[in-house]
Amino acid sequence: MTTFVTLIILGLLWGGVYLLAAEGLNLIYGVMKVVNLAHGDFIVFGGLLAFSLYELDGISPLLSFPTTAIVLLAIGAAVQFGILERIGLDRGDAELRTLLATFGLSYVIANTSFLLWGSQFQSIPFLQGFVRAGPIAIPQALLVCSLLAFAVAILVHVWLNHTMLGKSVRAVAQSGLGAASCGLDIVRIRVLTFAIGSAMAGSAGALLISLIPFQTASGGELTVQAFTLIALGGLGNYAGAFLAAELLGLVEVMVQYYLGTNAASAVIYIVFISVLIFRPYGLLGRATRV
Amino acid sequence: MKNVRLGEIILFLALLAAGIAIARFGSGYQAQTLFQMAMMTLLAIGWNIISGFTGYVSFGQVAFFGLGAYVAAVSILNFDLPWYVAAAIAALGAGALALPLGMIMLRLNGIFFALGMFGLARILQLVANSLEVTGGPMGTTVPVVDSPQLTATVAVLAVAAGVLMSFFLSRSRLGLTLMATRDDAVAAEAAGVNTWKSKVAAFCISGCVAAVAGSLYVWNVGYLDPNSAFAGTVELQTVLMVLAGGIGTVWGPVVGGILISLLSTFLWARFPMEQQIILGVLIMFIAIVAPGGLLGEMVKRGWLKRPPIWGPPPAVTPLSGEGSLASEPGQTVLLTCNKLSVRFGGVRAVEDVDVEVRSGEMLAIIGPNGAGKSSLFNLISAFNRPTTGDVQLLGQSIIGRKRYQLARGGIARTFQTSRLFASLTVWETVLVAASSVCPRRADAVARTAQILDDVGLLQNWSDMPDVLPPGRQRLLEIARALALDPRVLLLDEAMAGMTTQEIARVHEALRAAIDRGVAVVAIEHVLPAIAPLAARVQVLDFGKTIAQGIPYDVLNNPIVIEAYMGAEGVSA
Repeated sequence: MTTFVTLIILGLLWGGVYLLAAEGLNLIYGVMKVVNLAHGDFIVFGGLLAFSLYELDGISPLLSFPTTAIVLLAIGAAVQFGILERIGLDRGDAELRTLLATFGLSYVIANTSFLLWGSQFQSIPFLQGFVRAGPIAIPQALLVCSLLAFAVAILVHVWLNHTMLGKSVRAVAQSGLGAASCGLDIVRIRVLTFAIGSAMAGSAGALLISLIPFQTASGGELTVQAFTLIALGGLGNYAGAFLAAELLGLVEVMVQYYLGTNAASAVIYIVFISVLIFRPYGLLGRATRV
Repeated sequence: MKNVRLGEIILFLALLAAGIAIARFGSGYQAQTLFQMAMMTLLAIGWNIISGFTGYVSFGQVAFFGLGAYVAAVSILNFDLPWYVAAAIAALGAGALALPLGMIMLRLNGIFFALGMFGLARILQLVANSLEVTGGPMGTTVPVVDSPQLTATVAVLAVAAGVLMSFFLSRSRLGLTLMATRDDAVAAEAAGVNTWKSKVAAFCISGCVAAVAGSLYVWNVGYLDPNSAFAGTVELQTVLMVLAGGIGTVWGPVVGGILISLLSTFLWARFPMEQQIILGVLIMFIAIVAPGGLLGEMVKRGWLKRPPIWGPPPAVTPLSGEGSLASEPGQTVLLTCNKLSVRFGGVRAVEDVDVEVRSGEMLAIIGPNGAGKSSLFNLISAFNRPTTGDVQLLGQSIIGRKRYQLARGGIARTFQTSRLFASLTVWETVLVAASSVCPRRADAVARTAQILDDVGLLQNWSDMPDVLPPGRQRLLEIARALALDPRVLLLDEAMAGMTTQEIARVHEALRAAIDRGVAVVAIEHVLPAIAPLAARVQVLDFGKTIAQGIPYDVLNNPIVIEAYMGAEGVSA
């Protein structure tokens, strides 16, 4: 019983980290209907950058995660401005072309990481102790990182809903044409959106590498995981993403404990394909009329 | 056109001869390089079938490559089979597995399909990791005694077979339906195409080709492990080759295969660490600057043209009493709707509407915007399922039938905003519909030519739809519907935006159809556009029938005037 309760708490905490890892993708998809296939590689890049900062000067991930966020902010802005805006997001073949372009980008980012950091699994040893409440023991690192991840995700959510700029982003998400005719500079807003989405990936990477080791080749899996999460939540739906993140956290922790590591690495793909088949519009989503 | 065809044959034979010459007489290194090139080109050809011709971009083609490699390895290791038997088993095995997988994966589209395939490849990789027979994650050696010269020769021949297969596929009934589905799946269904069957078939063929490449890989390398069988770099190069050469073309994968192989071999020798970065940048560059690739650019500049499928049109023979309908006009009731209703959430779009149409008559359905006219059509043509009520064709209920079944079985429709196939010519557009109801190719060709002549589009046969003026585009849609030889023809504001001349042309074609016993149901805003043909008019407002009768009576009915003009209109 204690084990089970512990697993539930662990699952819910992991959900926070997953949420941050996926929320950037969700934001970008919501505004531009673009799925950035390099998202997972952004997370890995951010994580390994935090690892280097730790190696160099012992900088804790608590300090480095804003730094990795800023680096990824710049990379994201450059990608949107230099690549996606060149494609023209309003054209008929835009979906295909952005898909292919970000597919290429994922190889560029992953192999740049490989050049910089090699292919070793890396991790930051961070807060190795446990928080104990009676018989239940929770790793301190997970608790801190999860709370931080929730905080960042909520911060972005508040920004979207309660600031003028955030509202403009949502306006562009609902109708680019409508937003443009209200005088919004939609290119600027799209660049900002992609930058913030990427920054969220960067900060998620720094937190994630403090919890589990990963390598440059982990990007693809992280992209699928993030995409699964937002698809399960209903693409562009923030409440759904939260629910999906918690659910995914629980499933992963349970499978890992009861079925082992090998099953845990397969489970994300199996959940992914089942979601696409049985709930392609997400948990809360509704089929749109053709 | 003849010259293009001849050029293709010369190019094909020259490449084949050069390939075999290098394979047989070149050094082991040259043969090995050639093998790599040929194997990747074969993969590219396979990817192009599902992602190019069919439009379903996959990031997991390597799933079938790895599957083929593993099936071949197991066949060689456990049953001591020769390589060609192993290759055949790999192809068949992959094809058999692709059928259920395709039926699952093809329910997805766009990014979902692309990433779903990526996930599939990862799942198979995990399965391979736990396979004892093949050494799990460490891999296994597969005994190979053959020289690189032999494997290269076989790989070149396999590419040649792949090119021929693509060529014949692109000019086959299946290829035609695939391209129509890629351009507009809804319109393809309305033209009688079973898009589902076509897509799954393409998926299986594509998987088979990739599996053959995988089996050749094992035979050549003599070693297999999960990481190289499901390698991301193989996926990257496959996609890049097709993109660089020209996606959705027969020669694109070959041109791209040769160019990108040479480039990546060079990069591998000079910049092994940066190779994938450079290839990734190249994909982005092509996606931004020239998504059609090299051949696509040449087509855009008019240097190349895809030869017409089953064209050019034959001479049209004067009408020889053709037409399958022999019923006397006005006698048989063809279409009946009983108390048809549909609700979308709280909106009652259509409510208790009865419709009856007899052979050889035209019924006009009019009504103000939002009256439920198009919704009614969507119910009749199986595009939506009615909440209650029934639709019958010749006394048989058609509820629950598939769209393409109805299109083949006698109910053809056009769309309110025209839906044409962007990459098919006028000729091919009509051919899609004609070939879905004519089992023999010659019949489909003859019917297409006949119908294009009837509506006056024959001189435009080789045009792409986007160069036609709007009126002619609508004419083309009517021609596509008529090519299905329907018993009931549903026209959704088909004559909007036409010139008087074009309307006259459509009237002529419709009158001929009506005389043959076809029942035409037409939605129109402008009654004069169809008044000369319509025997009866039915008026809808807020989803209900508010009046029906002969045109003159209906137009002077105060209720109708009120629906259009508001209450003041009546007194004025």
